Amino acid sequence: MKTVTGCVLALLLLSAGPPVRLSAQDSTRISEAQAVLAPLVESYGVSGTEGPVRETVKRLLPAWATPSTDTAGNLWVRVGQGNPVVVFVAHLDEIGFRVTGTRDDGTLELETRGGFILSLFEAQPALVHTDKGIVAGVFLPRDSGFTRHTPPPFRVSVGTASRAATLARGVGPGATVTMPKQYVRLAGTRATGRSFDDRVGSTAQLLALRHLDRAALKHQVIFIWSAREEIGLEGAAAAAASLGTTPRRVHAIDTFVSADSPLELPNFAVAPIGQGAVARALDNSSITPPAYVDSLVQVARAHGVALQIGSTNGGNDGSKFTPYGVVDVAIGWPLRYSHSPAEVIDLKDVVSLADIIRAVAETW
Amino acid sequence: MSDRSRRLSVLALLLSALPPVRLSAQGDVDRLAVRFASMTAVTGLEQAMADSLRVMLPGSVRDRAGNVTLTLGQGSPKRLCTCPLDEVGYVVGNILPEGFLLLRRVGGGGAGRTVSPLLDQQLEGHRVTVFGTRGAVAGVVAVKSTHLTRGRVGPAGGAPDPVFTVDNAYVDVGATSTAEVQGLGIAVLAPVSLAKRPHLYGERLLAAPSAGRRAACAALAAAVQSKPNVKGTVVVAFTVQSLYASDAGLASVKALLGPFDDIKTAVLPARYADTAVETVALGDADRLVREIAQWMEGR
Repeated sequence: MKTVTGCVLALLLLSAGPPVRLSAQDSTRISEAQAVLAPLVESYGVSGTEGPVRETVKRLLPAWATPSTDTAGNLWVRVGQGNPVVVFVAHLDEIGFRVTGTRDDGTLELETRGGFILSLFEAQPALVHTDKGIVAGVFLPRDSGFTRHTPPPFRVSVGTASRAATLARGVGPGATVTMPKQYVRLAGTRATGRSFDDRVGSTAQLLALRHLDRAALKHQVIFIWSAREEIGLEGAAAAAASLGTTPRRVHAIDTFVSADSPLELPNFAVAPIGQGAVARALDNSSITPPAYVDSLVQVARAHGVALQIGSTNGGNDGSKFTPYGVVDVAIGWPLRYSHSPAEVIDLKDVVSLADIIRAVAETW
Repeated sequence: MSDRSRRLSVLALLLSALPPVRLSAQGDVDRLAVRFASMTAVTGLEQAMADSLRVMLPGSVRDRAGNVTLTLGQGSPKRLCTCPLDEVGYVVGNILPEGFLLLRRVGGGGAGRTVSPLLDQQLEGHRVTVFGTRGAVAGVVAVKSTHLTRGRVGPAGGAPDPVFTVDNAYVDVGATSTAEVQGLGIAVLAPVSLAKRPHLYGERLLAAPSAGRRAACAALAAAVQSKPNVKGTVVVAFTVQSLYASDAGLASVKALLGPFDDIKTAVLPARYADTAVETVALGDADRLVREIAQWMEGR
């Protein structure tokens, strides 16, 4: 454990990149958004092992909130009373790997948790999350680099040369694997990190709760931070089943994968970062009825909140509620370079997203 | 002082702002190796690391080529112990109106050496540091969003994905215009490298870009700081431009301070060479420190 602790400390101390900083021009709202988002981004939670992220959310909730965790691992906060019940749901988990076996040479065999470009993890530092703590290692490189996005099956070395030595470090099947991550400010109000999807959604729900005028609520509002979204919306499915036909609407608060990049086609998903939250009106899992999109736009206008409208790819937790007659009005925030170690956001969009959540909760 | 010289001087000052390391006990080579591995010294643009070495090694000087040299002892024999401190890296090649930077690779093609295709490919979707005149600027290299590749037809005929090259590297520093980029102190020729985050794992294994070279230089610095009883004269040289066309740094040392009766180059074996997790065993660095010190003492 001593070595493990040493490695983790070294990781923290030796990060040589530019320090996280608050720009001198940051408004109070931007500063608050960053203060909530940064610790969430730097918490680890591969699908199925969201505990550290869930604990961070609980720590950041307003004092009056009474959270509860269901058997699926979802975190719930209920506010207000009466019908129609409205649900907001953002997910806790992130993409990564799970250990499936240990080879004779001590290296770990992996399976993916969620969808991403595998090669982005190749030849990178690795963190193996075990019951006893974090064990440092590396994702091994392939022998040849000529088929960039389709590497052979990944393995991780924790610096051992035998199965027994690896097991002695407390590493075995079931452990999850990530690479180290850090929240870092870019120019202006932009920032980079890994797992903004969906720590930004989780942040926006927290910010909305902090600023919510509970006396203004006309019905019950349920905020859910869900588990295992990246591997099939599993946590949301459990939440939807437990609520059945009770809710009137569900608002999935999740990434709007944006084509605002020199590498993307401009056919759709063109929601520039920094220009506000996005009505995720059409994706691969759900279509918001046009009348509901119109209502969302009206709420945004009435409250002076920046809101874009668009279609993108991916599924959202709200789609698990629609079979129960619940309308899914998904709301997102534009993200560049989704599911990569270098996702980029604009903090103005986080504030905008929090504001639209609050406005919807209080007035719609 | 020219504009370019001023920029480089400011850069050197900024990048050498880390506190100097004093060696006093066993294990200090670990700290030195980690510190060196966190530095950036793109071949031909090594000034910042050279300045750090000069602070670390009292009496050392920088020659006209940029090498850092230190002369120990006197008389004959006259020997040279050297370590190349540079790395293959990048410079800003162009700045686009939308605020993205394009890159040019520097180094890797000289002295019969070719770089692994993985070297450039490791940029894709990862954090980089741009060393502007106003300090280090964080950026990322753009990558296609996973979600937006779904359902779209891939390369014709089932061919593998096209290989990422440095020509595909759009650096995003968060800026939205050329003027904003310039306001960050970034201009054409600013050095760029992968963000350096040395990573310790296993039993004293160090993973980082160019970890082998940096740990070897750390061993040479540690050997000097162990104050060996030098036999004759030993010139210690941390050389520049070893990875460009003609290894001009080492050639300059030989021309300016030679001839030498013997030359020793500090080298360490590394696993996963030319990757972001190039790995060196710090136990090997310990042995190299002893080996160099003994060589300096003529044993």
